[in-house]
Amino acid sequence: MTATARPRHDPLARLIRRLNRLRTGVMAVGTKELRGRMRGRRAFAVLTIYLILLSLFSWGVFEFYRNAASSIYGGGVPSVALSAQIGQSLFSGLLMIETLLVAVLAPAFTSGAISLEREKQTLDLLIATPLSSVALVVGKLVSALAYVFLLIFASLPLAAIVFLFGGIGPEDLLRAYLLLAVVAIGFGAIGLFISALVRRTQAATVLTYVTVLALTMGTAVLFLFLYATSGAAQTSTQVTDAAGNTTSVTTAGARPPQQLLWLNPFVADLDIICATSNSGYDTACAIISAVTGKPYFGATFGGGGECPPGALCTVAQPGAAPTVGRGFGVAVDCPNGGDCAKPLVTAAPVADVAPGSLPPPTITGIQRDIFWPQSALAFLGTALLLTLLAAQLVTPTRQRAGLPRWLHRPRRRRATETTA
Amino acid sequence: MTLAVRTEGLVKRYDGTLAVAGVDLEVAQGEIHGLVGPNGAGKTTTLKILATLLAPTAGRAEIAGADVIREPDAVRRVIGYMPDSFGVYDDMKVWEYLDFFARCYGLPAARRRQMIGDLLELVDLADKREAPVQTLSRGMQQRLCLAHALVHDPAVLLLDEPASGLDPRARVELRELLRELRSLGKTILISSHILPELEELCTSVTIIDRGRVLASGRVADIDARLRAGAVLRTRILGDEAALLAADAFFAADPAVVAVEHLDDGWLELAFRGDDAESAALLARAVRAGHVIITFARAASDLEELFLQVTAREGTPEDATAMTGGAS
Repeated sequence: MTATARPRHDPLARLIRRLNRLRTGVMAVGTKELRGRMRGRRAFAVLTIYLILLSLFSWGVFEFYRNAASSIYGGGVPSVALSAQIGQSLFSGLLMIETLLVAVLAPAFTSGAISLEREKQTLDLLIATPLSSVALVVGKLVSALAYVFLLIFASLPLAAIVFLFGGIGPEDLLRAYLLLAVVAIGFGAIGLFISALVRRTQAATVLTYVTVLALTMGTAVLFLFLYATSGAAQTSTQVTDAAGNTTSVTTAGARPPQQLLWLNPFVADLDIICATSNSGYDTACAIISAVTGKPYFGATFGGGGECPPGALCTVAQPGAAPTVGRGFGVAVDCPNGGDCAKPLVTAAPVADVAPGSLPPPTITGIQRDIFWPQSALAFLGTALLLTLLAAQLVTPTRQRAGLPRWLHRPRRRRATETTA
Repeated sequence: MTLAVRTEGLVKRYDGTLAVAGVDLEVAQGEIHGLVGPNGAGKTTTLKILATLLAPTAGRAEIAGADVIREPDAVRRVIGYMPDSFGVYDDMKVWEYLDFFARCYGLPAARRRQMIGDLLELVDLADKREAPVQTLSRGMQQRLCLAHALVHDPAVLLLDEPASGLDPRARVELRELLRELRSLGKTILISSHILPELEELCTSVTIIDRGRVLASGRVADIDARLRAGAVLRTRILGDEAALLAADAFFAADPAVVAVEHLDDGWLELAFRGDDAESAALLARAVRAGHVIITFARAASDLEELFLQVTAREGTPEDATAMTGGAS
């Protein structure tokens, strides 16, 4: 079958055929990679060491809290609250350390994927076949991720120990593992892209870890710096609500963009961890709140909507002039029950709400999923983009297809390689 | 009938160096075509362009009528490519290696199994089926690489220095294998800087140097066209005096450019003239009373041709290029 024989008039059939070819190609590369990776003892040694590390860590957390409890309660009275606290600490600790391991391991398996093929002079053999470059890079990514996923899911039984202590729901664990998987895809794709970009495996590996470090430590430091210098969370506005209580509302104007931290998996971790906390007044929640500008407590007052952070809301006071203030998410009443996200320019006193008739505020609990879903989407988007770019980079004859010059496949410098 | 391989004004420039400077190639179907030239002549670059691994700076290249840039997929299905230097994957068995490439061509499982057995038989690796690829000897890896280029039963084989690094026995086996492939109707484009290995094998050759085609066609044609001279070797029976007399005789002949003494009564004559003239020279020498044991053309024809052709444009730089320099 040649290209010219294909019917060009049937786009659906062509698409199906192309997808089929892609699947076959991904299968070919994936099978080959996994055969190589899982053969021998190394794969199982890594898995064993990984699980031993996690087990030791969990044990450490447990012992720490047990000792802390016995020093507080003398005889070591295990209360329900303490048990939940152990469960939550175990959960947050495991999530953090697994994120760290994924951030270290996923790039390790992909940062050599293409550059090793170049170094071992096997890439040309592959490119000379009809295997598409997308199938090649996706196959590489899938096979590397398959192993990382094996590591992640092998830790599930260990993580399930948290249910023994309580304080964690299955929905928390589900979110945690979803995030881990997505982070693995994102960081794996970063390694793959750099592997296709940089000729030498050593350089590719170094550059990949520099990138990972920049995304984790770098963005955190940068955000902290911007946050401290921007004066976010400094200004307060007095807002008087319908009941006549005066609330201090914080302005969230100059907050650094939270997008900066989307590719920082540890911040996304904090969002998931915050959701498990008892009080909402813990560090994870405070950080997420500072990052997103959203309160960690969702509260609805008086049948009105929330005033989203930073939005200008008019608090219509029956019988009085409306007060204008920036929302902080809490405690701002919108008596018209409407959408306070839009400034109520013509807010007039609402006649049908008598002073004092509003119901007391209802606390709806800690806000979930205010950061990590965006973060996860950012990881997936980055992974998609970088995978396609990597495919472009391994295609030797399509170099000129509208890519910036620096993204072209690195030229061969060494004279010996260009001898005919 | 479409030509199996055709290039027109092929140019490839790497960062200022001109690796291929306008190569025109035409290989008819069913031929074994030799691409001959010293290291750095542009052979590998030309083959890489044909194998869709490099985009030419200018010019066109077609395999069986399909353009390498516009229809790379069509080209890739037709060609089997064996690079000059290649690696093998670690942690992979011989059959898995072939299976992997067969999957890359999208062959169904049943055909893969059948084909792997046949190919291993063909390249004489049937008993190494389960061996890890990296444990094979150089020659075996070379044969495996050739087998990998055959998994999809390609019509055109592009072989870049397939015999490099092989011992003489393995070379002979490779030659047999290529003849067998030709008898199966495949067109083979083979590059080499070692001439004798191509001479017996090729139906036609192209001699290139520094990116340019110096001569192209059937070996005999090029031979006839370019035979402005030859090296004759003759052995004289007798003592030193007889040898010196023969030397003087040959040196006096207008067709002989130079005479050189070798050991053991051998003389080497740089001779300008065709076969008839060399026969006449022999007749004259015998008539003049020189006792001649041997009188023959020296070296292998193609090699001699090659040296002539490449030396004609020769500069001192060529010498470095011949000894493993760069393009």
